Amino acid sequence: MRRAMHPLERLVNLVALLLESPTPLTFDRIREKLAEGYGQGDPASAKRMFERDKDILRDIGVPIEVVAVDAWDVEQGYTIDKASYYLPDIAFTPEEISALFVAVRSAGDPSAEDAVRKLLSTSDEGLLAGIGAGPAGGGRDPNLGQAADAVAGQRRVRFSYRSSRGERSERDVDAFGLAVRGGHWYLVGFDRGRAEIRSFRLSRISGAIGSAGEGSAPPDGFRAADHVRAGPWGPGEPETTATIAFSPEVAWWGARDVANAEVVGTRKDGWVEFRVPWQPGESLASWVLSFGPEAEAVDPPELRAEVVGALETLARA
Amino acid sequence: MTGRARSVPPKASERLRRLLVVVPYLVRHPGTSVEEATRLFGVSERELLADLDLLFVSGLPPYGPGDLIDVDIQDGRIWIGMADYFARPLRLTRAEALAIYVRGAGIAAVPGLDEAPALASALGKLAAGLGPEALGELPERVETASAGGEVEMLGELRRAVEEHERLRIEYYAASAAETTDREIDPEEIFFEIGHWYVVAWDHRSDAERLFRADRIRSVASAGDRFEPRGLRGAGRPLYTAGNDDVAVTLRLDPEARWVAEYYETVRETELDDGRLEVELPAGRLEWVERLLLRLGSDAEVVAPEGLRGRVRELAGRTLERYA
Repeated sequence: MRRAMHPLERLVNLVALLLESPTPLTFDRIREKLAEGYGQGDPASAKRMFERDKDILRDIGVPIEVVAVDAWDVEQGYTIDKASYYLPDIAFTPEEISALFVAVRSAGDPSAEDAVRKLLSTSDEGLLAGIGAGPAGGGRDPNLGQAADAVAGQRRVRFSYRSSRGERSERDVDAFGLAVRGGHWYLVGFDRGRAEIRSFRLSRISGAIGSAGEGSAPPDGFRAADHVRAGPWGPGEPETTATIAFSPEVAWWGARDVANAEVVGTRKDGWVEFRVPWQPGESLASWVLSFGPEAEAVDPPELRAEVVGALETLARA
Repeated sequence: MTGRARSVPPKASERLRRLLVVVPYLVRHPGTSVEEATRLFGVSERELLADLDLLFVSGLPPYGPGDLIDVDIQDGRIWIGMADYFARPLRLTRAEALAIYVRGAGIAAVPGLDEAPALASALGKLAAGLGPEALGELPERVETASAGGEVEMLGELRRAVEEHERLRIEYYAASAAETTDREIDPEEIFFEIGHWYVVAWDHRSDAERLFRADRIRSVASAGDRFEPRGLRGAGRPLYTAGNDDVAVTLRLDPEARWVAEYYETVRETELDDGRLEVELPAGRLEWVERLLLRLGSDAEVVAPEGLRGRVRELAGRTLERYA
């Protein structure tokens, strides 16, 4: 009796056989050629085994096709089209492929890691010295793949969303784009329930992002990043500016987190004044307060009054 | 074996997936070392050798000696021949194509990353090479919103990590709200939720510590090299519990719920009045006091005792600036 072929060996042989065969092969022909794999036992159980193998191949992305091999459509043949099997060569430089490697490693996304490993083989060049697979990153935003899929296919999606205030609601959104800000991913799209473009932080989407059919095209000139703007004080379009002074202790980094902060000058007491974007009604005051006695709201007076009011309440509590 | 054993154990598909990626690399890079292959493909030496062991009995019909794939492992190096049909990898699945593009685009946006230009051109080649059938509208629709400043010290820190150079740094520790001078052995730099961090051995506390790169005011060589201790950066929790940690319990109004997202919590409980009760571990209380200053009436202190008094005192001290 012939030995039973190891499943992995059978699968490798099946891929090789169908890739190299100039014409589609019927199951009978496959059985004949790969006798150690499918030739044993009765034909019906061999066919079932073959069907399972076919599913495995499709599952990992092998484009195995079923085609008619005679004019009457009675006999079916199996084939793997080389053009759709092989990844096209992309001529990455060692710097480029290394950069992809580093990027994917820090993202901790298994699909992205598999992708970069495939890409490694499309080029005869290697990686830069010293780049290797280290510990995986955090793997945050596991629903990024679903969001990317929706944006790529211009889909309409449904998901459950928790606002920053903890309120939950079901959203029905035409996916327009993705934006990353401060290390967080946002899906931007047309919120059908609210009839306007909104952004959704992926980490606040609970459960899966479900597909709800065709979406729509974003308006002309759409930029996802325009819909995800925020300062350290929260979301909102800055309209005017405020002046904040920082003690020498924190002045060197205090305004770093604020895009477009400008130094006004250094005071006699060593404190440094900055002008930062501000919108009245937004909580710049709470950001200033987070520096404790190391920051002072200088101007405008209403901001100063807001800070003083909050401090007086706390000091009396 | 039982009668209903599966003809294909689940592992076979995993192994096939891996083999169809590893083999093309080995075909195109003859003489790759086993060590390098295991490192690049995230596979153990035992698994890799077991896969290659099955490969060299595989091939094309009639499976004679001249039809089988040639696998040669000598002195820890691998050569694969007679496998031209596996000289190129399997195309990317849709999920893989989307994942690498979007993850790459996300990292390319990180301020101060040396690899950013190479990454941007790699993503351009990727989009052109894979085409719209793989990526759809995605390349046009991923963007970065600016989130503030560059990290000045990043270049020097990276060089020190590569050269195992001990550094003397001036560091502002937000947890204690103070600037201190320290000697550190920096082992890895990584990016997590919007910030660069350095994981290092801190000689001041004689312990492993994380430093936020944008809170390092100055960097100077300490004139010494160090032996790496294998400290892990990427993927580690940003907060490491200590023995002296105090449990801080706060009740948060909806306006203050972001605290639970931003800081590591050990417990979160929804209260009947719509507030969220959170317990945060804290090695120092200075940062909690400032957080409470910021939250004002949107947060209530439950524990520890004495924290309310400290916040009151800090508010009074801050008010003096406005006197």
